[in-house]
Amino acid sequence: MAGAAVKRLMAEYKQLTLNPPEGIVAGPQDEENYFEWEALIMGPEGTCFEGGVFPAKLTFPNDYPLSPPQMRFTCDLFHPNIYPDGRVCISILHAPGDDPLGYESSAERWSPVQSVEKILLSVVSMLAEPNDESAANVDAAKCWRDDRKLFEERAKKSVRKSLNL
Amino acid sequence: MEKAADFHYNAEQNYDEETIIQQREIEKEIAGCQDLVGPKEDFTTLDREFEHDVAFLKKIQDVKQRYRRFRRIRADGNCFFRAFGFAYFESLLKNPDEFKRFQDIALKSKDELITLGFPQFTLEDFHETFMQELNKIETNKSIEGVLQTFNDCGTSDYIVVYLRLIVSGFLQKNEDFYQSFLDGGRTMREFCNQEVEPMGRESDHIHIIALSQATGICVQVDYMDRGDGNLISHVFPEDSSPSIYLLYKPGHYDILYKE
Repeated sequence: MAGAAVKRLMAEYKQLTLNPPEGIVAGPQDEENYFEWEALIMGPEGTCFEGGVFPAKLTFPNDYPLSPPQMRFTCDLFHPNIYPDGRVCISILHAPGDDPLGYESSAERWSPVQSVEKILLSVVSMLAEPNDESAANVDAAKCWRDDRKLFEERAKKSVRKSLNL
Repeated sequence: MEKAADFHYNAEQNYDEETIIQQREIEKEIAGCQDLVGPKEDFTTLDREFEHDVAFLKKIQDVKQRYRRFRRIRADGNCFFRAFGFAYFESLLKNPDEFKRFQDIALKSKDELITLGFPQFTLEDFHETFMQELNKIETNKSIEGVLQTFNDCGTSDYIVVYLRLIVSGFLQKNEDFYQSFLDGGRTMREFCNQEVEPMGRESDHIHIIALSQATGICVQVDYMDRGDGNLISHVFPEDSSPSIYLLYKPGHYDILYKE
């Protein structure tokens, strides 16, 4: 089973290297272990995260792609859909039935034909458009809803921090 | 997790992650005590399972009149697809003409799915495994081989995924017709993404109709329920002659054999 996962992850890595989506770099930490990836996500243009470069780790299960990976930002990111410890909480990282925060019925879910690329593109959309309905960080969701100016300030702080300024 | 006795519910806390972990543990427990596809057996264990349930015992009598043996499939949400796949592969051992017909359909199915918009590189692995195991039937011709294929977790699950993709492709291709069967205002794409493609999602009538239509394989399902009267059977597609038989108990499918 793990053999099938490695084969698939190698194919995905190749695909991401040949046709990298804008604002995303991702690949295995070292080529000995295809189950741990590092990713860099650029903050989307025209949003309060613009200019930031946010590092994250992806951890794949042995039965990938039957089950989805987990994703965790390794930098500070104040965002409604990111737990305070960095774990990303969006619908595509969960199979239906695994409903940590009761996603909307139309939300895109994990299935074996999804891919790392689809996840990372969803994460970029999530940065651009937080979903305060299913909040992993309640403070960030409240702030996004009630005090947008403060939210943007905290986002810009994350951007500066991500660039070591 | 804390022990049940010390557990105090805290409304402020989110228990969903823990719930998921516990679900995974229950799944592991089931996996530990049941084969993906069990041996052919008589109905003794079925009698025992329902010995205090009059309604079901009557239905089991009906089952025994129509069938000689059955095969249990692991209850993991994939049982319909696994039962269908195994029973069909098994039936192909004795039917080389049907093998040729289906081999051709299976070969062409990959390009059809790509035309429908499935990404080639995520589809390829599943199709490759599916064809490789299907082709073994022609060279190997043994029930032991089919059992081995379907009891190897990785291989077995890849076959289930590919059958799920065939269903998803068929439903999306025939969206105009099947859309009216969906409830909850979901689009066909959403339904397939949430109820067909992911592993572990249980099958309903619509999955069965789609799989039998897409593959041209005729399946009869005998429904064991609490209703009065005899065991009810449905043949998919209607008015054709079944090549495989499945037993439905609420929430689960096993395989039935006439001999």
